[in-house]
Amino acid sequence: MTDPIKFRCEGVNVWYGDTHAIKDNDIDIHDKSVTAFIGPSGCGKSTFLRCLNRMNDTIDICRITGSLTLDGQDIYARGIDPVQLRARVGMVFQKPNPFPKSIYDNIAYGPRIHGLARNRADLDAIVEDSLRSAGLWDEVKDRLDAPGTGLSGGQQQRLCIARAIATKPEVLLMDEPCSALDPIATETVEELISGLGERYCVVIVTHSMQQANRISQRTAFFHLGNLVEYDTTDRIFSTPQDERTVGYVSGRFG
Amino acid sequence: MTDIIRTPAAPDASFHASDEAAARLRKRRAAETRLRVYGILAISLAALALVALMWNIVSRTINATTEHYIAMEATIAEDEDDFLGVVKDAAKAAFPYASGRRERRDIYGLFSDGAADDMRREQTEGTLVAGEGIERRFLMSDTADLYMRGTFGALEGQATAGPLTLTEEGGGYRLDAADGAFSEALGRAKAGLAREAADWRAQARRQAAGIETLTARLPDLTGAERESTLAQIARFEAERDRLNGLADGLDALVTAGRDVQIDLTNRMASFFVAARGGILKLTKVSADTALAVPLVPVEGAGTAPDGAWSLRILDRPEIGRPVKDRQVAILETLKAEGRIEEVANWRFFSLSDSTQPEIAGIKGALVGSALTMLVTFCLAFPIGVMAAIYLEEFAPKNRLTDFIEVNINNLAAVPSIVFGLLGLAVFLNFFGTPRSSPLAGGLVLALMTLPTIIIAARAAIRAVPPSIRWAAMGIGASRTQTVFHHVLPLAMPGILTGTIIGMAQALGETAPLLMIGMVAFITAVPEGITDSATVLPVQIFNWANASERAFDMRTAAAIAVLLLFLVLMNALAIFLRKRFERRW
Repeated sequence: MTDPIKFRCEGVNVWYGDTHAIKDNDIDIHDKSVTAFIGPSGCGKSTFLRCLNRMNDTIDICRITGSLTLDGQDIYARGIDPVQLRARVGMVFQKPNPFPKSIYDNIAYGPRIHGLARNRADLDAIVEDSLRSAGLWDEVKDRLDAPGTGLSGGQQQRLCIARAIATKPEVLLMDEPCSALDPIATETVEELISGLGERYCVVIVTHSMQQANRISQRTAFFHLGNLVEYDTTDRIFSTPQDERTVGYVSGRFG
Repeated sequence: MTDIIRTPAAPDASFHASDEAAARLRKRRAAETRLRVYGILAISLAALALVALMWNIVSRTINATTEHYIAMEATIAEDEDDFLGVVKDAAKAAFPYASGRRERRDIYGLFSDGAADDMRREQTEGTLVAGEGIERRFLMSDTADLYMRGTFGALEGQATAGPLTLTEEGGGYRLDAADGAFSEALGRAKAGLAREAADWRAQARRQAAGIETLTARLPDLTGAERESTLAQIARFEAERDRLNGLADGLDALVTAGRDVQIDLTNRMASFFVAARGGILKLTKVSADTALAVPLVPVEGAGTAPDGAWSLRILDRPEIGRPVKDRQVAILETLKAEGRIEEVANWRFFSLSDSTQPEIAGIKGALVGSALTMLVTFCLAFPIGVMAAIYLEEFAPKNRLTDFIEVNINNLAAVPSIVFGLLGLAVFLNFFGTPRSSPLAGGLVLALMTLPTIIIAARAAIRAVPPSIRWAAMGIGASRTQTVFHHVLPLAMPGILTGTIIGMAQALGETAPLLMIGMVAFITAVPEGITDSATVLPVQIFNWANASERAFDMRTAAAIAVLLLFLVLMNALAIFLRKRFERRW
């Protein structure tokens, strides 16, 4: 547990209009590991996740205070371009949302707009690399021109992960990436996430405590907008300190 | 927690099996059946109306697909410049018996100015065959063409028996036949007289009514006033008696026996006798004999044997049709000689508007419509789509944008003629846009179409799932990139549907174009967007108002062309939409 700190968040508050969604939370997220956010519905874990790549900016009524730094740099500072930030902090959503384009174009879109490939060969290499990283290459290498929406749910989600990886991000945010998948697809994606944790800073929001237990090194438990407890996954699930954490992880509420 | 959730009462096992439940079920099913029947009825009614419309248009359009020609020999010089003269000379040579001025005018009336235009065009193209005794066909005039289509009724053949003797009498011939050969003609003539008598009596009754009114006023009048009223009554009485006398005279003829001789007028049906190589028109008729004048010369006096002559009746009186009896006789002769040709009417697509229906075409209006639509599309589509994108994706939500939104929705409901007035005031008077030009028309129609396109485009953009926007933004696409790379392509089918609805509306629009002068009579095909032009719906409007009967079928044909234009435009839109949809 000596991974360097990637995100340092201090005194983060989020309001949706008059609703105080995140209440003065501090959390440090470590690089090259998987951090899981757990908690009952509406506890603010997804909101917090979206603060990390400024996706909340797209919501007019959303207001954020506090300090969030990525590698020591305040991501809400004046000079920061949120679009540029999102290229560094990739995101995978709850429902697989591939573009209605070919598998190849799905992956190649990010590198294209960010100028990551100098020529077609570069781009081909990035596409292949990303698909291999997402464990999808062998399944789709013969039909890269087929529409991404034609894949199965699990394959689509892995395509979305590959798409996120293709822009060479430093952080991957995942908002309940397996909640729309069947158990077998979930298992594949979980293995993938575990592997990605060795190379990237991965933050995953999940409803499934088993999943958090299986794939994450650290777990944060949110309740009603408060970060109740944040520790290594082992300790959260074996010797939780807070009563509410005890209740949640043992399945008594939530 | 549990105290706010009430446990439902245990279900009554028989509840859904009771008679009441069965009654409810029957009622629901009856309501559903009724709804289905209403739906089918509505659809059938709509389909029926559509079929009736199409049938009406197609059946009238078919007439406009052909035109009639008369084949004659003509003498054309190599460097001919008086083609009307060529037509007249050819007609003179072909119908030498028409020597008087009126006869000549009737003959010339069979030909269209288009006959001369054809030769002039061929001369320009270098395909004109010159020389003496050239056999060629000459375009028929609109009235002759209509007669050939039976618009003024067809000649009814009458059964005749026995021989017919022609004896010269006066300027014409006396025709003698046996066994009441002319009794049908006599009957029709009497029917005509009876109608005339009834007209006289109706006029007499009006006089009588006047007398009654004046008589009622008499007791209150004195002196000079009374004198003048009495005089007026006397005048009315005299007129009444004269009219009744006329009617009585006609009625006497109507009730008279079979040997009464009746003078035929142009208010009665026309009676033609074809005998001895010519056609005669009856001027006086009784059951067995008649007087007649030759319209197409006969071989002098003599007897036509049984079966070698015929009596034919054209029921519509000469006064009620533009084609004269002489023209009818000549056309029938030409038809019998096989010198009338009916060929496909390509002229309709290669010529523009004209005062003469037979040489009026749709090309000018078609090109005008196409140019106007081009201007409309080039303005309304990009502006409309950009406005929709801005309002939907970039504009802040505040009072100003709300105000703009409300106004766009209101603009869609503004009557189109108001846009015409706006175009007149702003584009024509202020900016000096050329009057009647596709540019002015396109500008006005673009204004009219913009709200439709904006509303449709906004709806289409809103319908793109937000997950696509998140996906793009999640990998670092900017707002603009997201919109143009992902949202717009996905919204394109919907935008195109809205655009085509707006364009179809614009294509069929007449009212605003009237305001900017596109209703003008324009015979030239526009060559650019600043030339004077007219458009299809305005052309239809103009032709529908024209007094010439022959414009009737051309109106129908123009409607068919307009519908076809619409179908093609829709087909293009559907094709484009399918192409965009494939990217899903």
